[in-house]
Amino acid sequence: MSAATFERGYNALKEQIDAPIASFFSSCVRCGICAEACLFFTETGDPKYTPIYKLEPLRKVWEQEYTLLGKFKALFGLAQKLTDAELAEWKELIYNGCTLCGRCSMVCPVGNDLVYMIRRAREGMVAAGHAPEGLINASKRAVTTGSPMGIKLPALQAQIKHVEKDTGLKIPVDEVGVEYMVLLSSMEIINFPEYLEAIAKIMQQAGKTWTIASAAFEATNSGIQIGAADIARELVSRVVTAAEKLQVKTVISPECGHAYTAIRWEGPNLIGRPFTFKVQHILEVLDEFRQQGKLKTSGFDSNRLTFHDPCQLVRRGGVVEQPRHLLKMIASNFVEMSDHGKMNWCCGGGGGHSAIEEAHELRTQVFQRKKTQLEELKVEKLVTACANCRIVMEEGFEAYEMPMPIVGLTEMLAKHLATSNESN
Amino acid sequence: MSKYPTIGESLRHQGISRRDFLKFCTAVASILALPAAMIPKIAEALESTPRQSAIWLSFQECTGCTESLTRSHAPTLEGLIFDLISLDYHHTLQAAAGTAAESAREAAMQGNKGNYLVIVDGSIPLGNPGYSTIAGISNVDMLKEVVAGAKAVVAVGTCAAYGGIPHAAPNPTGAVSVDSLITDKPIINIPGCPPIPLVIAGVVAHFVTFGQLPNLDSLKRPHSFFGQTIHDRCYRRPFYDKGLFAETFDDEGAKQGWCLYKLGCKGPVTYNACATTKWNDGVSFPIESGHGCLGCSEPNFWDAGGFYKPLSVPINGVIKATTGYALAAGAAVGAASGALNRLKRSQARQNHETVTITDLERNQK
Repeated sequence: MSAATFERGYNALKEQIDAPIASFFSSCVRCGICAEACLFFTETGDPKYTPIYKLEPLRKVWEQEYTLLGKFKALFGLAQKLTDAELAEWKELIYNGCTLCGRCSMVCPVGNDLVYMIRRAREGMVAAGHAPEGLINASKRAVTTGSPMGIKLPALQAQIKHVEKDTGLKIPVDEVGVEYMVLLSSMEIINFPEYLEAIAKIMQQAGKTWTIASAAFEATNSGIQIGAADIARELVSRVVTAAEKLQVKTVISPECGHAYTAIRWEGPNLIGRPFTFKVQHILEVLDEFRQQGKLKTSGFDSNRLTFHDPCQLVRRGGVVEQPRHLLKMIASNFVEMSDHGKMNWCCGGGGGHSAIEEAHELRTQVFQRKKTQLEELKVEKLVTACANCRIVMEEGFEAYEMPMPIVGLTEMLAKHLATSNESN
Repeated sequence: MSKYPTIGESLRHQGISRRDFLKFCTAVASILALPAAMIPKIAEALESTPRQSAIWLSFQECTGCTESLTRSHAPTLEGLIFDLISLDYHHTLQAAAGTAAESAREAAMQGNKGNYLVIVDGSIPLGNPGYSTIAGISNVDMLKEVVAGAKAVVAVGTCAAYGGIPHAAPNPTGAVSVDSLITDKPIINIPGCPPIPLVIAGVVAHFVTFGQLPNLDSLKRPHSFFGQTIHDRCYRRPFYDKGLFAETFDDEGAKQGWCLYKLGCKGPVTYNACATTKWNDGVSFPIESGHGCLGCSEPNFWDAGGFYKPLSVPINGVIKATTGYALAAGAAVGAASGALNRLKRSQARQNHETVTITDLERNQK
C-alpha cells in the first residue's frame, strides 16, 4: 500500500484483460479506420493518435501473457517486455490524446470497443503512477471533499438559498420516499446555477416529488475519468447508499456525460449488484414528462440554433431522439450539425481531459473540429446537455474568438415553461 | 456470321449513349464483384459480341424461378432480354404458342449450333416419361436434344440444381437434377427456391461478357454469390454471438430481433447471398421479416429435418472419427490454455492492491 509502482501497474493491466479485450486484440485487422474517427488524429494529422496505437502497452501485455505466440516471442527474445519508460511515454496518448468519446468504437469494422479498452488501460496507468496531475488532484478532492472541484455542502446550501429566493420554490433536501433524486455536477453548482433553478420549476409544473441528497449531491465520478475502479466504486457507492436510504424510485443524472456513464453503466458493475432504483439522464426524464403531457411550454426561440450531442449520451446511452423531441417544442429554427447524433464529434474535453492542464493547447487545437462543424451551419446559438462540453466549448470559442452563446437544454426548457394560465 | 447484330450495335440502335453503356458495364462488374479494371474489358467484349441466344426450358417446376427473374432490378429483365440476350424460347414469356413456339426453339438451335445458352428450371422425372411433357416430348428427351448443341447450361432454382421439392422423399416421379443427366457440358447451378433474381441476371451477364461461366464451388454454384453462409452476413449475428435467442415467435427475444437459431434457422449451413443482396430491390429477406432461413439453396433442404427444428449437428453426414479426435485434442489444448490464462488473471486479481487516493503517485526518491 501507499504508493504507485510499475509492478502494480503491470499487474493491473494483466488483471484488466478479460474475454472481450482478448477477442478485440485478436480480431483487430490493423486497418486504421479508427484513426479517421478520432479528432486527435484528424486535427493534428499525427498517426500516434490512432486509437488502437494508444493501446500498444495493453496489447503487449495481452500478447506476452495470454497468447502462445507471444510467450514464444518473449522466450526467444523476439519481443521486448513492457517497460516503465514505455508507460510514461504512453501517458500523453492515453490521457491527453483521448477523451473516451468512443467515436472509434463506432467505426471499427470488426466491432472492437476501443474506448472500453482505453478505459481499462487507464487502470494500469493509475496503478503505475502515470496518471496526470490534474486528474490525481481531482480524484483526491472527490474522495475527501465529495466533489472533484472541492465544492462542499455549505456551497450547495448557499446556492439552494439563492434559487429558493429567486424562484419562490422550495428545494427539497434529504426527503424520504420521493420519486426522483437529483444529482448535480460541480460545474452546475458553481458555474450554471440555472440548472437547479430549471429543475425546481420543471418538477413543480410536472407535479413530481424530488430531492437532493446532502450526502451525495455530486454526480461527477473522477474515478471513471482517471481510470481507477476502486475510487469509482467508492464514489458510486455514496450515491447508491444515499438513494437507497432515501428510498427514491429514480436517480437523475445531470447534464453531464461521464456522470451518466459512471452511474448508469459502470455503477452496477462496480458495486457488483443491480441497483434498487432506476437511473435516467435528465433528458430522458424530461422527454417522459413530455410524453405524459406534463411538460407544457409556450413560445419559441427563433434563433438559428443547433444541438451538440454529448458523446456519452448518444454513443453510450442512446439518448438521441429525446433532445430533438424537446427542442421541437421550443425552437423554431433548429438545424442539425453534420455527423450529429451517435457520430457527433467530441467537444474535445471529455473523459477528464478538461482537468488536464498540460493538455490545454492540444484541446484548443482539436476544438477546430467543432469549430468547423459550427461554421458550416452559421448558427447563432448552441444548445447542449453536458456542463463539461459547455465549459470546454466556451473556452474554445474564446480561443478562436467566436462569440456564440451556449445553453443547457434543461434550462432553456425551463425558460419556456408555460405559466398556469397559458397552459389552460 | 451471326444473324444477330452485336450488343454495341443494338444498343446504339435503341439510342443508348456510350456513357450509359459504360455505366451498364460498371453495374455488371460490380454485381459480379469484379475489379474496376475489368470494366473496359467488359465494354470491349459487349461492343463486339452478338446478343447471346438463350433457350429457357421449364420442366417440373412452379414458375417461381421465372417469377423471381421478372423482379430482377440490376440488370432488369428488360435490360437483360433486350440488351444482352436473345431469349428465343421461354414458355411463360414468349408470345408464340403451339407449333410456332416449338419451331422458334428449333430455329434457335440450328441457327446458333454450339453457341447458345440453355437455362433450365425444374427437375426432370425419370420414373415415367409421361409425368411431364412439352409438345408431346418428354422432359428428359427435350433436355438431351437441346443441350446437345449448347455452349453451356444454367440450372436455375433448387429443382434444376438438386431435384428440389419434386425430388423430396418419397420422390414419386423419380425427379433428378440437370447435372445428373448432363455430364459433357459446362453446368452452373443457381439454387434457391426461388433463386435471387440478381444472381440469375448476374450469371447470364457474366456468361455473355466473358463467354464462359464464373468460378464455381464444389456444388457448381458461383463463388461470388454463394461464397459465404447466410449466417456469416446476417444482421442478427451479434445476438448469436452473445447467446441471445428467440425461443418462440412471439416472445420478448423475437420482439427484440434476437437470433432465430433455436427456432430452426438454417442460416449457419446455407450458402447464399440473401443477407447481402436481399430481396425485392434490397428491401428485406426472410430473417429480417422474422422467420428463420429454410436453407432453400442447399441440396435436400426439404428432407433435412423440420424447418423449426434447431440445428445441433451438421445436417449432412457424420463427423469422421479422426476429425473427432482432432477436435477433442484441439478442445483440450484450448481448454488447458484457457485455464492457464484464467489462473493467471485470477492471480493478478489476487495481487490487486486497492487503489486509494494515497496511491496515485510514486514515492519521491
